[in-house]
Amino acid sequence: MGYSSSLIQRKFKDIVGRRYEAVLKDYSEFLLTDEEMLVPEVRSILIPLDLFVHDITDEAIEVLSAYNATITLAYITDAGVIELLEQALNHASTEEFRAKKEEYGRELLDRTTAKLKGHGFPVQTRMFIGHKGDDVVRMAKNHDMVALCRRYADGESTDVSVSPIVLRICQRVETPALIY
Amino acid sequence: MDTVALIAVAVFLFTYALIIDERIHRAVAAMLGAAIVVFLGVVPWEALLEHVDFGTIFLLLGMMIIVNTARGSGLFEFIAIRTAKLANGSPIRVLVLFALVTAVVSAFLDNVTTVLLLTPMLLYVARVMKLNPVPFLVTEIFASNIGGAATLIGDPPNIMIASSAGLTFNEFLIHLAPIMVVDMAILLLMMYLIYGRSMKVNADERREMVRTLNNLDERAAITDRALFRKSVTVIAFVVLLFFIHDRIGEILHIFLPFVDPAMGLEPAEVALIGAAILLFWSRQSPEEIFEKIEWPALFFFGGLFVIVGALVETGVIASIAAVMVENVGSTGEAMFIVTWFAAIASAIVDNIPLTAAMIPLIHDLGATMDVYPLWWSLALGACLGGNGTAIGASANVVVIGIAEREGIGITFIDFLKVGMLVLFVTVGVGFGMLWLTFGM
Repeated sequence: MGYSSSLIQRKFKDIVGRRYEAVLKDYSEFLLTDEEMLVPEVRSILIPLDLFVHDITDEAIEVLSAYNATITLAYITDAGVIELLEQALNHASTEEFRAKKEEYGRELLDRTTAKLKGHGFPVQTRMFIGHKGDDVVRMAKNHDMVALCRRYADGESTDVSVSPIVLRICQRVETPALIY
Repeated sequence: MDTVALIAVAVFLFTYALIIDERIHRAVAAMLGAAIVVFLGVVPWEALLEHVDFGTIFLLLGMMIIVNTARGSGLFEFIAIRTAKLANGSPIRVLVLFALVTAVVSAFLDNVTTVLLLTPMLLYVARVMKLNPVPFLVTEIFASNIGGAATLIGDPPNIMIASSAGLTFNEFLIHLAPIMVVDMAILLLMMYLIYGRSMKVNADERREMVRTLNNLDERAAITDRALFRKSVTVIAFVVLLFFIHDRIGEILHIFLPFVDPAMGLEPAEVALIGAAILLFWSRQSPEEIFEKIEWPALFFFGGLFVIVGALVETGVIASIAAVMVENVGSTGEAMFIVTWFAAIASAIVDNIPLTAAMIPLIHDLGATMDVYPLWWSLALGACLGGNGTAIGASANVVVIGIAEREGIGITFIDFLKVGMLVLFVTVGVGFGMLWLTFGM
């Protein structure tokens, strides 16, 4: 360290005292660090959908638009429900229920695909009967990010809380998760 | 020169050398020098109280209380984030807006706090833009010193001059603020010409910057909404009082007939009244706020006043004034000497001790010439001279010190090249405008 540099540091210490550390602490509450500022490379994003997810919010789309990624929409019908219905009702009623669910799922996938394509995202869709938690965790391994609606796999009654399945998925996936 | 005078000069030079080198804290150096002259009886107790300018010390004290109370609300962070967002991803706009905000805030609050709180945000914005932060930082330094020079309360040299010469807030607005507006425009043009080419970002980077900055929520910076409102209100009230401090009696007399219409408030009284109102209204813990007062700075000022007082007591200042009177033919000539001497010496010594030494000299010159224009020459030279070197003013040291801590090197020579150019241009323009007002 040269004389001028050490002189500046001595004067800085005498003029500022400990105030700079306090200022940095205040700013750290809302400014990103260098590490946080690095945008991770995200090429594919998984977005699971179900009966309780009616839409992808504009705020979520704005965040996702930071990544030049392909989006996979996966509509999952709960296999447990189908199994229960098969046990309780006859085969024809179960098939009717499944057809109605698939029809709703197809409509939701088409609507959401059109919206995302409108924002310039390449979109792939999948629809299957499975486990809403385990299958998302499994599929997330092949994606760089998973975006979860807070009401995914939840009932209609909850308004603001995050569904327990969403929380469990977040605990288990290794990829970054976005909750909207 | 007699022995006592030699001692006073030796203590003065020794203390100033310690202040320049800063191996010993400047406040300690000033107190040590003061202790020597008091111990040796160069400055007796009665004279000591006369030499310490309590107007300056209490004004600084009052403003420190106001600023430290307001700081707790997140006011400065709010201003910084809002400024960054307004730039809308354009580097040139970032440079211009931060320079203007720094200048305006520095004009009304102290420069050190202003740059201390704006610089981290400026560094963040430069990092987001992936641009070299140096142009933004040096512009901020110059803007702080120019803005501070515009008002009575903007820079310590102005506070010291106003307190000693009895100048009002509005006189500063009339004589110095227009110069600073012109100098600010010139500064921005110079910075654009020097650095403009290196401030290009492509459309993707600009979009990324806008997105990142838009994600910042300036409302989140406000940690205490009620305190924020009260701070802004009291600061606005204090600024209003400064505008009318010399004729407050006339105004109060209309509503309160018992008030003497000839009454005026000293700037220090305005600052302390504002501090008292904010402390009372905000219900902030006085212990916490008083702990944040920069006591070393106040003792630094106190010590300097005593050391310079020793030069006055021993007749050294009077001798220098006599030599100056013999060799200076007109007020215009004196303005030229005071302006340029103050500017160049401020770049080397730090403008606060320089101003402390120059004030009694100008008072002594008053016996033979009209010194009113010289106060403006001193203010102009001392404030803008601080732009010359990395150690010329406190704002320079703070910004360059922060930059070094963040791994951004601004060498003494690099700063000197731009700083001296800015010094000569801005002081030259300012002197020209003062000359047109007083010198012709």
